[in-house]
Amino acid sequence: MVHLIEIENYSWQYLNTPQEALKNINLKIEQGSFVGIIGPNGAGKTTLAYSMDGLIPGQYRGLKHGVVKIRGIEVEEYPRGRLQQMVGMVFSDPEAQFTAMTVEDELVFGMENLGMSLPEIRERLEWVTELTELKHLLLKPPYEISGGQKQRVALAAVLAMTPEVLILDEPTSMLDPVSRKRVFEVLQKLKQSQNTVIVIEHSLENLIPLADRMILLADGEIALDAETGEFFQRLDLLLEKGISPPGAMRFFYELTQKNLYHGRLPLTVDEAAALLRGAA
Amino acid sequence: MNKTLLGYVPKESPIYFIHPFVKLYFLLVVSLFPMFITQPEVNLFIMAVILLLMIWSRVDLRILRIYVPVAIAMGWIILLSYTVLGGTHPEFELLAKVLGIKIYWERLRDGVVVYCRILPMIATMVFFLTTSRERDVIVAMRSVRIPFVVTYVFAMALRSSGMVLEDFQIVRQAEQARGFDTTGKSLGYKIRKYVMYMIPLFALSLRRTEEFTNALVARGYAFTGEAAKVKRADYILTHYSFKLHDGILVALISILFIIILTLRYGYNAFSLDSSLLINWLYQILR
Amino acid sequence: MNTQTPFIRVSNLNYQYPDGTHALWDINLEIYEGEFIAFIGQNGSGKTTLSKCLNGLFKPTSGDVIVEDLNSKTSSIVQMVRRVGYVFQNPDHQLFNNNCWDEIAYGPRNIQLPEEQVKERVEEAAQVVGLPERYFSEHPFFLSKGLRQRVAIASILALRPKLIIVDEPTTGQDARQSFEIMDFLKDLNENHGHIIVIITHDMPIVAAYARRVVAMGQGRILADGPTAEVFKQTELLAQTFLEPPQITQLAQRVQDLGYDPGTLTVESMVAQHIALHASQDNP
Repeated sequence: MVHLIEIENYSWQYLNTPQEALKNINLKIEQGSFVGIIGPNGAGKTTLAYSMDGLIPGQYRGLKHGVVKIRGIEVEEYPRGRLQQMVGMVFSDPEAQFTAMTVEDELVFGMENLGMSLPEIRERLEWVTELTELKHLLLKPPYEISGGQKQRVALAAVLAMTPEVLILDEPTSMLDPVSRKRVFEVLQKLKQSQNTVIVIEHSLENLIPLADRMILLADGEIALDAETGEFFQRLDLLLEKGISPPGAMRFFYELTQKNLYHGRLPLTVDEAAALLRGAA
Repeated sequence: MNKTLLGYVPKESPIYFIHPFVKLYFLLVVSLFPMFITQPEVNLFIMAVILLLMIWSRVDLRILRIYVPVAIAMGWIILLSYTVLGGTHPEFELLAKVLGIKIYWERLRDGVVVYCRILPMIATMVFFLTTSRERDVIVAMRSVRIPFVVTYVFAMALRSSGMVLEDFQIVRQAEQARGFDTTGKSLGYKIRKYVMYMIPLFALSLRRTEEFTNALVARGYAFTGEAAKVKRADYILTHYSFKLHDGILVALISILFIIILTLRYGYNAFSLDSSLLINWLYQILR
Repeated sequence: MNTQTPFIRVSNLNYQYPDGTHALWDINLEIYEGEFIAFIGQNGSGKTTLSKCLNGLFKPTSGDVIVEDLNSKTSSIVQMVRRVGYVFQNPDHQLFNNNCWDEIAYGPRNIQLPEEQVKERVEEAAQVVGLPERYFSEHPFFLSKGLRQRVAIASILALRPKLIIVDEPTTGQDARQSFEIMDFLKDLNENHGHIIVIITHDMPIVAAYARRVVAMGQGRILADGPTAEVFKQTELLAQTFLEPPQITQLAQRVQDLGYDPGTLTVESMVAQHIALHASQDNP
């Protein structure tokens, strides 16, 4: 069976850097899964995301070993623009992604690039503005909307191109908590409609309820790759790699350390509260 | 209120019924009118008409306040350059001699003429800027089939200059927060210090360029010409239909222009000799 | 509750931007020696505007900001910045010079200190932020983001302001980097006598470091008090669209079991748990 994304023995070293940014990555991602990637800054998360979108090796110079295949085809073999239609990418800085003078222009830009017809553009615009709740902002210029709204525009612009997989590189790191929630609400809808989504994120509290699978990157290598529930049972490893887990989970981890609790660590506040009630 | 390039237009304004191309055409053609009209009163009349158009478009006229000092300063500069710095011309009619400076009637007259030509030109520009948004300019350019790449680069330039302005504000505040104070300092000092702003602005744009390019590539756009091979459906243009009244307006502006040219060159109209204002001014000053 | 004279007293402060937006409404606030305060609130709630009023970048439309003996309305920016420092969120907005030494010396030179004093202050500031000497001649542009932030803070420290406002110190940093920068601010607060104000969205950071929280919404102060007290007011926090940190949420959920709804850290939650179960086990 051909996986949507297939990475084998992949290494990448940027030109003029002493070390490989990614080392010996092996990763298969199936259609319809929701994957979270975490890791400290400098672990290679962004490099991995760019490798799946063709920005690496397209836009950057360096040494590549191994294989990165999307739908069974090596990323370099796609004609220009074709891969980007399949793999949509949202970046962390909402400011730098907004290239047009109104929200509407921005959303339409990608679709025009793909050579879509007018009725098709109209229909998708309708769908995507509904999904991301942007209708009231269509005619606004970029300097009149907030960072959170800009990030929803960036997300919508990518979704309008109906990619097969969506990669988000720390989409909420520059947003306030409300805007962050709203971005995750959109991701929730995408998960419900069986889209393939890969999110790189520091904010674990929002990510955990959505992710089916989590990957920990550290020093350019995959340190842990497991189903979300299992993943967080390895809290010792996560803490060692500098990940700060949500409070409820860490509380139960501390209890385990003190021999006051034995069992699975809870993933959410709900689970944690239920456990405490059960114990009482 | 909708923000335009300069100022605001209310949510409801008749100006929205006009195609952006007509606005751009108005700017380009009407601002030429004063070049062919010497009579100051006709030029002042054109300016009055444009002001009326601004009122009709429900532009917030307070925006004009910032142009009053500009207009006055320009008036002075023109007046001085045509009188004090006018030099000696024995062939001209001497009106007065102030502190050894000769004031000639012809020079003074020319000053008034030039000034009255500039005013309606500025008014046309202000009218356009207060009633158009960046998007209008781009739509206007696209509707006359200027290639997409050109209008897109133009739009990006507008977009990034907006970003630079925002950055500039923050950088200025950051400098102040470090005890930088220009009050009471010499102009040379200020200019030298202002150069410092360029360093962070430059650094910021360097860092952003990479992200900007990545964002563009990720949207399937590349400046290789390959993307240009795709036949683009210009969705934004579909919001703006060129209606009958737009055609009539363009025709009217064109006809008016032709009439002015015909009157000017065919019938020698708008000449100084027939100007009531100039003759009246002459009566007073002589 | 506090009998000292405040370092800053803000009374009936209103601020309106030149374009007419009313950003602050009737703000009253006092800041005292030794405090570590977090300003929280949604984007556009007025927390940044208030901070910029505190150091005189913005002058009140009405009302007063009094820093020690200075009224910001009648004081020059030079006088103000010697008392209140402001570190902007993005280091790239605030690094103007060609090397780190000049960068840190920039403020002291602006307030026209003699060159020996400038040298002394640069060395001290660099030492406090832990910037090694080998970086002095480096161009700030080529340093890592973490180091750039340190240079930015050092360049404010060199002005020796009593109060330091830091805008979003942990944005874009991972957990380890966030704790590092916050530990450093804590050290400035506890061992170097600085009052610290952070502007942030990061609630676990607020819980772990700030002793007082000022919650803002729509240009007004909605709550102002000790961190645990403010986090107990969940309805009010919901108004500002903020949530207390997860551990506090958990403690509030199981309040009826005897946990303190003002719990701020995992460590205190663990201690409570042990105490609760010890009393159950040994009746």
